[in-house]
Amino acid sequence: MKKKSLFFIFMILASVSLILSACGTGGSSNGASEDGKKKFIGGTEASFAPFIYLDDKGTVSGIDPDIVKAIAEEMGFEYELQNVGWEPVFAKLTNGELDFGAAGITITDKRKETYDFTEPYYEATLFLIVPEGNTDIQSVADLKDKKVAVQINTTSHEAAKKILGETNPNIMAYENQPLAYQEVINGTADAAIGDNAVIIEYLKNNPDAPLKTIEDPSFEKEYYGLMVKKGNTEMLNLLNEGLKKIKENGKLAEITGQETDF
Amino acid sequence: MDFLNDFRWDIIWNYRELFLQGIWITIVLTICGYIGGIILGVFLGLGKTSKKKWIIWPCKIYVDLLRGTPLLVQILIIHFALIPSIFGHSLGVMFSGIAALVLNSAAYNAEIFRAGIESIDKGQTEAARSLGLTHAQAMRKVILPQAFRRMVPPLGNEFIALLKDSSLVMVIAVNDILYAAKVIAGSYQRFWEPYLTAAVLYLVLTFVVTKIVAYVEKRFSIDYNPRKNKEGRAVR
Repeated sequence: MKKKSLFFIFMILASVSLILSACGTGGSSNGASEDGKKKFIGGTEASFAPFIYLDDKGTVSGIDPDIVKAIAEEMGFEYELQNVGWEPVFAKLTNGELDFGAAGITITDKRKETYDFTEPYYEATLFLIVPEGNTDIQSVADLKDKKVAVQINTTSHEAAKKILGETNPNIMAYENQPLAYQEVINGTADAAIGDNAVIIEYLKNNPDAPLKTIEDPSFEKEYYGLMVKKGNTEMLNLLNEGLKKIKENGKLAEITGQETDF
Repeated sequence: MDFLNDFRWDIIWNYRELFLQGIWITIVLTICGYIGGIILGVFLGLGKTSKKKWIIWPCKIYVDLLRGTPLLVQILIIHFALIPSIFGHSLGVMFSGIAALVLNSAAYNAEIFRAGIESIDKGQTEAARSLGLTHAQAMRKVILPQAFRRMVPPLGNEFIALLKDSSLVMVIAVNDILYAAKVIAGSYQRFWEPYLTAAVLYLVLTFVVTKIVAYVEKRFSIDYNPRKNKEGRAVR
């Protein structure tokens, strides 16, 4: 009886240690693929069509994933692009869970304090979005005392803060840009500020939306870049080199449909 | 614990206006949502104890629907779909936020009222009715006063829960405490200071509410007698 139970305990211990050791080897291969090439983890937020969106099969696609793919092919590294959400892209880059961010991220001086950016791959500007029949908002100057919908913590939010003041309650910040546009349609907000690429794509998909866009020269031109943690020069050089190559061979222009003279 | 040393409280100070606004909005949301939820909840709760089928069923379905779906989903449906479809345009985010909180907490309050009423012994109704009171009189003069004492603790609980749940309306850009924290976190890409501040502010608010609830509970407890002093002796 005693011997039997001792044997039983031994068996349990043996199986547990086997499982644990299996876990150990599984863990060590993490971060590197089978043929020894390092696998980089990229982060994105997939509600920013046409830059990043989930296609009908649920995979992350769009301009940014295409660019990363072209760079990876050019430079011969492996990567995985994870859809982590907008704010986690920043947080996870800071704590090292991600190697790079590819989410249509605008290069700003404020962000440069904490992160490093590659050369730009896209030139963007902001548009004002107002209801179709609207006449009293003609330009940015008319936004004072109006409710303005933006995407939270993006450059559109920054622009609204600059126009209306940092803590103005008339700025209404939503999780993504389509929601902000919807608020203009519903009448919660008088106007929205959005990225040219996103609103063009939105109007293409929703041709009946009662919205019109206004271009305003006071919105500065913005440039999108891939983002890495400050000081991660290995990743930055790799991405920059690849970006230069696809700029030269015309692949970038093919992907973005934009002249690459910046 | 290195992060403690490079906390940048000046960020919070620069945005204090946003937080002060947030506290005010959170209080307004919670109080409006709570009062509305109690008023609607009383009718739903009484409806669920009714004997008429055409009263019971709508109340039951309402409670099941609103209690069985996440508040976050309800907020999004009410703001982006329900209100624009009914009125043709939105009535503002505060209206949608309060409406969602009222409708949601009413479902929970209805259950509290129903349970409170049903917890009173049947003999009480029978005694009241045999003394010649009508059903409505028996309810108002005998059952509800007793049931209310038993409802006070769960209703206080609901108030605290609602205060914390009000943070969900942030998704429709109601500038409450959490919204303020999120905006600050985004503009500085620093997460400790703003979210910790938000947590502390909610904690302070719930602490105050807890004290109020404890006082009300004491006043409505069975042992409470206003003519007794602390030692429990009657003052003459």
